[in-house]
Amino acid sequence: MTPALSRGALPLLAAILVAGPMAAQQTDPRLERLEAAIRPAVAALVDSARAAMLPTEPLVQRALEGATKHASGDVIVAAVRRLAVDLAHARDALGSTASPAELTAGAAALRAGASPTILAQLRQTRRQPLTMPLAVLADLVASGVPVDSAAAAVLALAARARDADLVEFRRAVERDIALGAPPAAATAAAATLSSVQVNAGARQQRPGRP
Amino acid sequence: MFEHPDDSVDRAARQLQQPVDIDPALDGRVMREITALPAPGRGTWLGEVWRWLRRPHQVTLTPLGALATAAALGVVVLLSWMSSKSPAPRQAASRTFQFVLVAPRATRVSLVGDFNDWDPTRTPMDRTGSEALWTAVVPLAPGRYHYAFFVDGSRWLADPSAPVARDEDYGAPSSVVTVGGGS
Repeated sequence: MTPALSRGALPLLAAILVAGPMAAQQTDPRLERLEAAIRPAVAALVDSARAAMLPTEPLVQRALEGATKHASGDVIVAAVRRLAVDLAHARDALGSTASPAELTAGAAALRAGASPTILAQLRQTRRQPLTMPLAVLADLVASGVPVDSAAAAVLALAARARDADLVEFRRAVERDIALGAPPAAATAAAATLSSVQVNAGARQQRPGRP
Repeated sequence: MFEHPDDSVDRAARQLQQPVDIDPALDGRVMREITALPAPGRGTWLGEVWRWLRRPHQVTLTPLGALATAAALGVVVLLSWMSSKSPAPRQAASRTFQFVLVAPRATRVSLVGDFNDWDPTRTPMDRTGSEALWTAVVPLAPGRYHYAFFVDGSRWLADPSAPVARDEDYGAPSSVVTVGGGS
C-alpha cells in the first residue's frame, strides 16, 4: 500500500528515509541498550521524527522491543524506520492536531491495511478521540477480518459509539470467530448488534482488561 | 567727645567690606565635629514601623471610599472562594490494568511492553492465589501498547486473552492493549 501524501509530508518522509547515516545530536540514554553499530541510525531516526513533530516514544519502544527480543541490528533499524513512515502517513491522514496516541493507533491501522481515506473519514465522523476506533480496526484485521469489513463496521459505529462500546464490539467479533463464525460475518453481526446498543443508556465501567 | 553717627556707620561699613582671612581647614574641622556628635534617638526601620503601628492614628474616609474598600474586599473573598471550588487541571487519564497469565510450570514471569521500555526487570509478575496464576497491575495512559510475557528468562508468550499484535519484524509474539481517550 502506498498512501497518497500531501506535499507537506514528502520532505518529512525524505528526511526519515535518509536519516540513517545522520549523526544524532542528543541520544536518548535508553538507546544505550542497542548495539553500538545501530545506535546512531536509530537515534537519527528518532531525531528526524522529533524534528517533524512526530511522537518519538513509539520509535524508542520499537527499538527497545527489538533489543529485548534479540533481533538483529538491521531488523531493528528497518522496524523503526517503517514505524516512522507509518506515523508520518497517519499524521497526514488524521491531521496535525492528532494526539500521539491517535497517531500510534493510526499507524497500526495503516500497517494492518487500512487506507488513509478511512482514517480521514473517521476523523470527519467522530468528534471524540480516535485512538480506540483505530486500534479496534487494527485488532480486527489482525484477527482475520477483511480490512474492508472491519473499516465499514468501525466507520458505522464511530460516530456515536463510546470507547467501551467499541471494545465490546471487538470482543464480540473475536468471540464469534473463536466459535467458528466467518470473520466478515461475525463483524457484520456484531456491528449490527452494537449499533442497536450504542447510547442505550449508561453502562457500568468494564474492568480494565486488555 | 563723640563722633558724628554718620561717620561711625561709614567706618563700620568700611570695616565690614574688608575681606576676612578664614582658615582653609575650617570646613574639615566643622564636619568632623558634626560627625562626632551623637545621633538623635532613631532605631532601625523595623522599630520605626513597630512604633508607628502602636501609635493611634486618625483615618478619615468618605462614604464613597468606604464603599470602594468594601467592594475590593468582597472581590478578594469571592476570588479566593472560587479558586478553592475550581477543579484541578485535567491530566491524561491513566487507567489501571491488571495483566494475568496462567503458567503452572513457570518459576519467574515478567511483564514487558511499550509501557516499561521492554525491560524484563521492571515489572515482575506476582504469583497469586493458586500456584498457576501470575498477575501484575500497571497504570496506563491513553494509547496503544504492545506487550508480552517473558517466562523464566527465555520464553515469550502472548496474552491469550488480548488481541494479537501483528509483527512481521521481530517474530516473537506480542499482544495489544489500547487505552481510550487522549485526544
